[in-house]
Amino acid sequence: MPANVLIIEDNSANLELVAYLLESAGYVVLVATNGVDGVAVFQREMPDLVLCDLQMPRLDGYGVLEQLRADPTCRDLRIIALTAFSMRGDEDRVLTAGFDGYLSKPIDPEKFIAQIEAFLPADLHSRHRSPTGL
Amino acid sequence: MTPETVALMLETLPDAVIVCTTEGRVVHWSDGARSIFGYVTSEAIDHPLIELIVPADQASEHRRMLKEIVAKGSAVYESVRRRKDGSLLYVDVSSRRFVNAEANESLVLSVEKDVTHIKVQRDSKLMDARFRDLLESTPDGIVMANPTGYIVLANTQAEKLFGYASGELRGRPVDMLLPERYRHAHVGHRSQYFLQPRKRAMGSGLDLSGLRKDGTEFPIEISLSPLHTEESSFVLSAIRDISERKEIQKALQESNEELARANLAKDHFLANMSHELRTPLNAIIGFTGTLLMKLPGPLTAEQEKQLRTVQSSGRHLLALINDLLDVAKIESGKVELNRELVDCNALVEEVTATLRPQAEEKGLELLLTVPETPLLLRTDHRALSQIVINLTSNAIKFSDHGEVNLTLALRAESDSVRTAEIAIADTGVGISEHDQARLFGAFSRFNTSRDKAPEGTGLGLHLSQKLAHALGGTITCQSELGMGSTFVVIVPEG
Repeated sequence: MPANVLIIEDNSANLELVAYLLESAGYVVLVATNGVDGVAVFQREMPDLVLCDLQMPRLDGYGVLEQLRADPTCRDLRIIALTAFSMRGDEDRVLTAGFDGYLSKPIDPEKFIAQIEAFLPADLHSRHRSPTGL
Repeated sequence: MTPETVALMLETLPDAVIVCTTEGRVVHWSDGARSIFGYVTSEAIDHPLIELIVPADQASEHRRMLKEIVAKGSAVYESVRRRKDGSLLYVDVSSRRFVNAEANESLVLSVEKDVTHIKVQRDSKLMDARFRDLLESTPDGIVMANPTGYIVLANTQAEKLFGYASGELRGRPVDMLLPERYRHAHVGHRSQYFLQPRKRAMGSGLDLSGLRKDGTEFPIEISLSPLHTEESSFVLSAIRDISERKEIQKALQESNEELARANLAKDHFLANMSHELRTPLNAIIGFTGTLLMKLPGPLTAEQEKQLRTVQSSGRHLLALINDLLDVAKIESGKVELNRELVDCNALVEEVTATLRPQAEEKGLELLLTVPETPLLLRTDHRALSQIVINLTSNAIKFSDHGEVNLTLALRAESDSVRTAEIAIADTGVGISEHDQARLFGAFSRFNTSRDKAPEGTGLGLHLSQKLAHALGGTITCQSELGMGSTFVVIVPEG
């Protein structure tokens, strides 16, 4: 059963890219363009994986993480940070805050699906691949 | 004259008339005594004189004196007394044993005269004659005070500092040079000082102010030293006006704070810039990637070729951004070096393993020479790796045939501090003497008369040199056009 993946990203081009890659790989994609909506969508749909941009206005990635972890109904939370920050120490900060993983922008479109599948149990991997292979 | 008139006259004497028992208990205390010492009659009668007017360090001397008067019948002497308020004064004492026949008791009768002022004048003349020239020659203000707190000598600098006319300070209480709030403590300090005189240097951490004649205050630094002569002990104070220094300190502190703020702003700017530049690149690299992966559908040969050009430019841009950020970080001193014990043998072996495919692709031999025992050096692994990778990949890039030779050696060792040397020699195109001068500048690329577009960001050598400097080392280059180049990295332990 392919996983439901929620993308929380305020930049439309970035959102489009990640959504396209995931859909081409056969995943069901849910989207939110800001942190507040992101939390609401999660609570409603309980996706298997969340990809969350760190830098967003009003409620940023850390804020989303905090709210989801504080919510008792949100169990089995798998959340990966997507970020364009790249200073040494940023990765540590992200993992210490409680994210399960960290992917750095710009992403490598060829490796992206394999990278996020590392965070999903095998039974949630999509067996559907586009004809040219991913 | 009646006895009453005589009694009244005794009371009117300005000097202190004190009568004690042979044990030293006060039985008579004149108005003069009150005026000089501060105690009213009721406070003095029946008290031991020694508790009232004798400073602690004079106690044993006083007792000895008392015994001598009782034994010999009289004495005339000079002494230091203490007032009720703790301040000190000089007195001339005339004492006599008196037998009161009607009560059949012996008493000690004393007249004590306050000679502080006279003594100051006397000491002043002496000190002046002896020390004036010396004291005028120092740049600091010098004030000499006696144990009773009066200024015996003040040099011209001190007079100028405090705004007094020449000679105006002599004989004045030294306390008047201090703002009122310090005076009370100062009396205590002064008495203490004479009990335990010791040199106290400037800058003992007290925030002191001096009081000028016109009432204004200014920050001062003082140092004290005792001065002993046959006549008496004095305290010598050297006084320095530190207003200017305090202003400079304040300005320095403010400028440091401003600098810290500017640095913080610059760091935020760097972090934001990195983020802003990468975000649009994500879409560029991402979608050229998906197109080339043919996810939306097949491509014509020409479409694929053009997309590859866009992709390669996008990757170049990303490399440029990363290198620029690295350079900016190093320039602003923001690179965190993680110094640990690095196995240099393993490091160069790693680099050659990584770059071997590239070398083989061009038909180049990649040779490595390392010392027999692993060379361990305390340095930053990531930085050193980056330098060696950069130099080796340059060597491969700029050679079309022949070999690239990597040599690691221990260059020097003294006091168990090691210096490593890594040489990268190639048989490539070489660098002209003219170009060698600009080699390590940012964005320098050389016209190599090759058809291919220049590879790399032009920042590699610049960054490598900056990193080498950050590690405390250097990179040098020896090259001959058409023969090849040898780059040598020298890294001391640090």
